[in-house]
Amino acid sequence: MNKHSLLALLSILLLLSSCGKDDPIIPNEEELITTLNLTLTPDGSGNSILLSFQDLDGDGGVAPIIRTSALQANTSYNATVEFLNEQESPAEDITLEVVEEGDEHQVFYSSSIPGVTVMYSDEDDMGNPVGISTVIETGDAGSGQLTITLRHEPSKTADGVSDGDITNAGGETDIEVTFDIDVE
Amino acid sequence: MWSRLSVLFILLLASLSVRGQDCTISLSGYIYDAGTEEPLEYANVLVEELQTGAVTDSTGYFLIEDICPGHIHISFSHIGCEAQRLHLDIDKDTTIVYTLDHTDHILHEVSITDRKSPTATQNFESISTQYISDNAADNLSNLIASMPGVSSLKNGSGIAKPIVQGLYGNRLTILNNGVVQAGQQWGNDHSPEIDPLVANKISVIKGVNAISYMNGQMGAIVLVEPSKIDQDPHTHGKLQYFYESNGRSNGVNAQIQKYGSHLAWKLNGTFKKSGDRSTPDYYLNNTGGQETNIALQLEKKLSDKHNAQLYISSFNADLGVLRGSHIGNLTDLEIAIGRDVPFFTEDKFSYEIDAPKQKVNHHLIKWSSQYFISDSKWLNIDVSGQANLRKEFDVRRSGRSDIPALSLLQYMGVADIQYNAEYDNDLYLKTGLQASITDNTNNPETGILPLIPDYISYNGGVYTTLAKKTKTYTAEAGLRYDMVAQDVVTISNTLPREILRYNDVYHNYSASIGYKYILADMINLSANTAYALRSPAINERFSFGLHQGVGGIEEGDIDIISEQSWKTTLSISNNAKSPIYIEALAYFHNIDDYIFLQPQEEFILTIRGAFPYFKYEQTDANIYGLDVYTRYNVTKNIEASLSYSYIKGNDETNGTSLVFIPSNNLTANLSYAMVKPFSVLGKPIENLEISLDNQYVFEQNDITESQDFLLPPDAYNLIGISISGDVQLSSTRLRLVIAADNIMNIKYRDYLNRQRYFADDLGRSVNAGISVRF
Repeated sequence: MNKHSLLALLSILLLLSSCGKDDPIIPNEEELITTLNLTLTPDGSGNSILLSFQDLDGDGGVAPIIRTSALQANTSYNATVEFLNEQESPAEDITLEVVEEGDEHQVFYSSSIPGVTVMYSDEDDMGNPVGISTVIETGDAGSGQLTITLRHEPSKTADGVSDGDITNAGGETDIEVTFDIDVE
Repeated sequence: MWSRLSVLFILLLASLSVRGQDCTISLSGYIYDAGTEEPLEYANVLVEELQTGAVTDSTGYFLIEDICPGHIHISFSHIGCEAQRLHLDIDKDTTIVYTLDHTDHILHEVSITDRKSPTATQNFESISTQYISDNAADNLSNLIASMPGVSSLKNGSGIAKPIVQGLYGNRLTILNNGVVQAGQQWGNDHSPEIDPLVANKISVIKGVNAISYMNGQMGAIVLVEPSKIDQDPHTHGKLQYFYESNGRSNGVNAQIQKYGSHLAWKLNGTFKKSGDRSTPDYYLNNTGGQETNIALQLEKKLSDKHNAQLYISSFNADLGVLRGSHIGNLTDLEIAIGRDVPFFTEDKFSYEIDAPKQKVNHHLIKWSSQYFISDSKWLNIDVSGQANLRKEFDVRRSGRSDIPALSLLQYMGVADIQYNAEYDNDLYLKTGLQASITDNTNNPETGILPLIPDYISYNGGVYTTLAKKTKTYTAEAGLRYDMVAQDVVTISNTLPREILRYNDVYHNYSASIGYKYILADMINLSANTAYALRSPAINERFSFGLHQGVGGIEEGDIDIISEQSWKTTLSISNNAKSPIYIEALAYFHNIDDYIFLQPQEEFILTIRGAFPYFKYEQTDANIYGLDVYTRYNVTKNIEASLSYSYIKGNDETNGTSLVFIPSNNLTANLSYAMVKPFSVLGKPIENLEISLDNQYVFEQNDITESQDFLLPPDAYNLIGISISGDVQLSSTRLRLVIAADNIMNIKYRDYLNRQRYFADDLGRSVNAGISVRF
């Protein structure tokens, strides 16, 4: 009887081994953010400026494309940040998700460019900043880096956080991109 | 603490022909220690139906008189052992010899014919039912980490996987009731999905190649063995409740069994729930866990020559991961590392488990049968199926925290046939065939490209071992061949997403020899050596993406080749009967093309910032170490022991040390046992024992700054105490254990706990357990 059960077993295994693995279903990467655009519109005259970070294939793979341009000295800009998932067609605007969950998100701007200041010009339901809209002011000519960070579940009431200081914010980083910027 | 007990054999020695009249039967016998073969003094023997008993004398002898004919249950107990019960249908004066395996922690040698056990020259150590039961709140890994040479790789306190002589994950095989544990063993943050409370014995083979085990090529094996069903025609069981103050953990375990005339059965169920654990200073939020496990064992004798068993088990766990250890990118990690108290720490206790968390289900069904061709030749046939479902939840945007970030379903089927033969000239042959199929599928519900691809893997193996055993020596040799065929389907990491297929076949060979010699009946010497190939695991060639549990981007290398391993062990021990016992085990393991995750100098830039980048690479490595254990019986009541583990792992090619090599450690234990029972309020208190432990863990000095985000933490010292005792109440028996861990409430961090980057380890915990055997 053992011979029979063994034979049965081997034939089951043989049967199973005759078919390969099915093709996987490619997941719909709906949470993915591929692109960050920061549009700066000068107060008064002048053209608006676009800074962008684009990584279409997600983590790893092909390296991201970073576009930057120069800012004018001693100028005040109204800046708006935008997050997109460009793997979708048409591109999905993730900014809407962030605004909707404004109390769970905050965008931080930290600059090493001399004379550049960033001030929040929006707020969530609790009266704390979200950081989608800001006012960016430049000083004299110079150069440096601007880092934009989107934090999920930061502690907005922690010391300095509502003024844009990321030090005590905690939470997870959803976005962190750095632009090299010249002020001319 | 290192005690174990099992009934090795029961012999009906003599039966006098005095006809059993009303209640004049006598029961006498001798009780011996199975390990040392010495008579056991002060063992308690009780006929439960009569409530009369006896205590053995210095020759191990006991006598109980005035027993009525019929069914009786005899309870045996001795200090450091779990009480055993024997059922007898008595109708005349009877003498029995009962053996209690009560030897503390020694390198064991086992019967070569026992298929579940390692072969005779292997070194292995075990923990017993009593130890498992007294530490019921612990998981499998933390339980066996009490043995020298065994450590736990953790992510917090609830998630832990064992490391044996520096080997873990893909290089460590765990056998649950003889079945290779399937599941995602590659993950450093994946615990083995096994409820230790179903086991009556957990053993760790610390030797070389165990030829007869599938995937056992590297020689590190953990065996989890459920107890056989007691041969007692009545329904019996055990009910246990346990509590831990740290985490306010509560648990119950129930076991019920009956050896019926048609079918023997045993049912085992466990429920555990714990909340946020705490360090000496703060709560570790979201570190609770919950487990619901059930196992059913059936045994049937189909004929004189044919036995069959069916085993079904289900393991279901939800495990929280410290909220403050969930990080977004390198910047987050660097900020989190520098903090005194982790982010998200709240001053309030909770049983809630939110993301990040793991949800794991593991189900096993196994049918096994033994068919005796003759007294000295038999076949074992095992067929098993497993299903492993793992879902891991991260903190995600827009309510997506309820959608797993990793969701894998794995099936594994194994068929195994083994032929055993004993020949007259003390020669033993074991040969077998094994076939398995593993089918791993990602659920696309995650919305994230999978870290591990979908695949089917087929494995076929054939092996033979030959051993010769005499009174003074044991010699053995074995050979094994495995073929592994993998059908892997991956999704490209560039756009447009494409499906890529890979078909690969590997051939693994292994060979081992061992020799054990007993010198003048006093000193045991053994030497083993083995060569083996291990083909790369799926994750080592194909993983790609962010591994949240590690906080980095991991990338496999398709060109990785098989590891070649050469391991040698040498051990020496003196006779366990001696009041001073010493054993030492040295091992040297050379692995060419050792596969490991090498941190890369560059970072990967993503829209979420920079991430550490790890690639699977190969190097020539060696791991060597020494485990020493000594025991001194100061008096009949007092025992002192000391154990020391030393281990070093080197990457020879790069001139660095291997990561995740445990720190050296030194453990001392002092215990006082009341060997004679005494009465409190007319109830006999037996086996009262007080035990004090001191564990010193050295600093891991070999890791350099380029190998880790944070250098290994300082050395630390933990003190623990436990008090335990039994009370016999008519036919039920009560056991109480009260213990405290880290009684000095010291602040420390452990190198092998990933949580060390973010938070301190556990503070003081007071634990209590009560069990009732009926």
